[in-house]
Amino acid sequence: MDQPARPTRQRRSGRIGKAGLALVVLGILFLSPALLAQDWVKTGTSLGVEKVRLAVSDFKPSTTDPQNTALLKTFNDTLWNDLDVSGVVELVSKSFYPLQTPGQPPEVNFLAWNAPPPNAAMLAFGNLGAVANGRLTVQGWLYDVKNIQSPQILGKQYGDAASDAAARVMAHKFADEIILRLGGGIAGIAESQIYFVSDRTGHKEVWAMDYDGSNQHQITRLGSIALSPRISPDGSRIAFSALTKTGWEIMMYSLDLNRLVSFPHMGGTNLSPAWSGDGTKLAFSSSRGGDPEIYVADASGGNLHRMTTAKGPDVSPVWNRKTNAQIAFVSGRTGLPQIYAMEADGTNQQRMTDQGYAVSPNWSPNGQFLTLAWVRKYGPGEPGSSDIYLMDIASKQWVQLTHDGGRNDFPSWSPDGRHIVFQSNRSGSLEIWSMLADGTKVQQLTFSGRNTQPNWSWK
Amino acid sequence: MAANAEIYFEHDGWGRALAWSAGLHVAITAALLLYSALFYRTSGEGWGAGGGGEAIGATLVSTVPLPANPAQAQNVLANESKGLTQSQPKIEEKVADAIEIQGKNAKVKPKKKQETASKEKPQPAPEEETNQVAFGEGGPVSGPYGTFSAAGAKGGFGITGGGGDFGTKYAWYVRVIQQKVAENWLKYEIDPRITTAQRVYITFDVVRDGHPMNVQVEQSSGVPSLDISAKRALERIDTFGALPPDYSGNKISVEFWFDYSRK
Repeated sequence: MDQPARPTRQRRSGRIGKAGLALVVLGILFLSPALLAQDWVKTGTSLGVEKVRLAVSDFKPSTTDPQNTALLKTFNDTLWNDLDVSGVVELVSKSFYPLQTPGQPPEVNFLAWNAPPPNAAMLAFGNLGAVANGRLTVQGWLYDVKNIQSPQILGKQYGDAASDAAARVMAHKFADEIILRLGGGIAGIAESQIYFVSDRTGHKEVWAMDYDGSNQHQITRLGSIALSPRISPDGSRIAFSALTKTGWEIMMYSLDLNRLVSFPHMGGTNLSPAWSGDGTKLAFSSSRGGDPEIYVADASGGNLHRMTTAKGPDVSPVWNRKTNAQIAFVSGRTGLPQIYAMEADGTNQQRMTDQGYAVSPNWSPNGQFLTLAWVRKYGPGEPGSSDIYLMDIASKQWVQLTHDGGRNDFPSWSPDGRHIVFQSNRSGSLEIWSMLADGTKVQQLTFSGRNTQPNWSWK
Repeated sequence: MAANAEIYFEHDGWGRALAWSAGLHVAITAALLLYSALFYRTSGEGWGAGGGGEAIGATLVSTVPLPANPAQAQNVLANESKGLTQSQPKIEEKVADAIEIQGKNAKVKPKKKQETASKEKPQPAPEEETNQVAFGEGGPVSGPYGTFSAAGAKGGFGITGGGGDFGTKYAWYVRVIQQKVAENWLKYEIDPRITTAQRVYITFDVVRDGHPMNVQVEQSSGVPSLDISAKRALERIDTFGALPPDYSGNKISVEFWFDYSRK
């Protein structure tokens, strides 16, 4: 491979005298074992990066149990979907696969997979089998099929009770393992949860579901109105605002105890709680002083501090979850709501959006981006629509992620920073949708009732 | 009441009522116009009232560097690769230097020199080093990831250091490094006046848990902002993912180059 010459090194080597040479020889003699142990990798940006072409062969039955057919379908469908929406790999269409698919490592025919038509770089395969005592065992491998000498990247075995839910969980776990390796150490989201508000029972309550929309279940049963659920970083508590006898208050629900736990009533209208990245603080908006302002309290509700003082409403705070040093929020101090950012102590308040109607900020896990709902052209005669945008905080450059798809609002980042969940009425009613953070792979997650204000778990 | 009462019999004059009605309509319209002109503009603070605030320059860009892959996948079914086969040397047909004048020897059939490839002494084929494959070419890959799309650039990853075979054994990990660094390199940090620059070399170690350490500029590009952007790309990365569990070493050293040209 061509590389530019390094004149500095050549000059340097030319100047080495005899004494220096002797020293170098001595040094090599002593250091050679260490040098031999050192692995050097040379690479660069000019090589281009393609997504890995991954073939996912349907897992094969390892036993003759009659349950296998249904469990295999659940497992294979879930694994395929997890990898397809991961944004990390490019799945090779199953129509290119060879007729003989492997269920065990010795059955892998490398040439059939690494050459066209599949031309796969990686192959995920394995087997699944239920046995008589109600157990389900899954073995899965990930092979680098272009590296015939040492192909195995991953080999896993899972065991659980034979059920549809267990097969789904095992597929999620295996998909996460693959994404962890091929995605550069960022854990997959297949086991993450999305919390949202649904009125399908007649009241607006907090609900939860798997990241792919399956396993939807109700969390709160207040019989009132619950809004803006926010899961804590450790996944143990949900803070939300609810209409109580004394008005809108911040409420706390423990997922460990499956009941409400105490949180002080602040007075006034208290809305949109937001957890800090370390889970020790809660920011929310409160009108206890008259004007809605941003307040920060401990996770227990104590040690309350007011962060904003400007005339006009300040609402919807969200922490920079990587540094915990900044808070973004929505302010109407100049008229229409705009996104602002400030230090966590309330100083250095800075406007982020320049026009229109901007709400619902959400900070990316790496602290680099804000996603927000924005009507760039707002007002009578302006045909603006509410769309999801992404803004690079340092440069204030932005990208529109949704286009011509109804009214979109409440974006929330996935823990891997590759996905965004949001609400949209593009299907006719308010439902939860998710997409990759570049606006692709849009998929609907909820289908019954009106579902709003999604919040993705932290892990 | 009589059965045949004439209900349409009495007629009042309409002219007066019509005049009142028209007058009232005109008065109400004038009052509305006057009100909107005088009062409406001065009222309305809060949501929807407009207002300027400080000027912020937010600009539309086609892309913001995202966690997704920046490069487009190449069509794998067909490419312009010539493969490993060697092209035959082209046979040059010799053109006569001069045309013979038709004279008295015209009847004599000139001896036609026919040079054919079979008579020509076979030329030795251009030597091709057996251990090299042109970048991005070659039929079945000669090694893991030998088919990176290059977009006109030359380069590739290689291994130096005695005995280390990390790059060949764990090619997938090398690709992860390459992808993550490329993703985290924000080109807008580079001085916009720079159109092209020398290659900058960064070296760093990846320790057991995948964390990059000892990030250093090994060879500067001569453009400080490019050097800094390259170094920052590494500093943004928390982890590349743990080194493969069956890898015996404690760390790997990476030399990463950044090519920059603004098209």
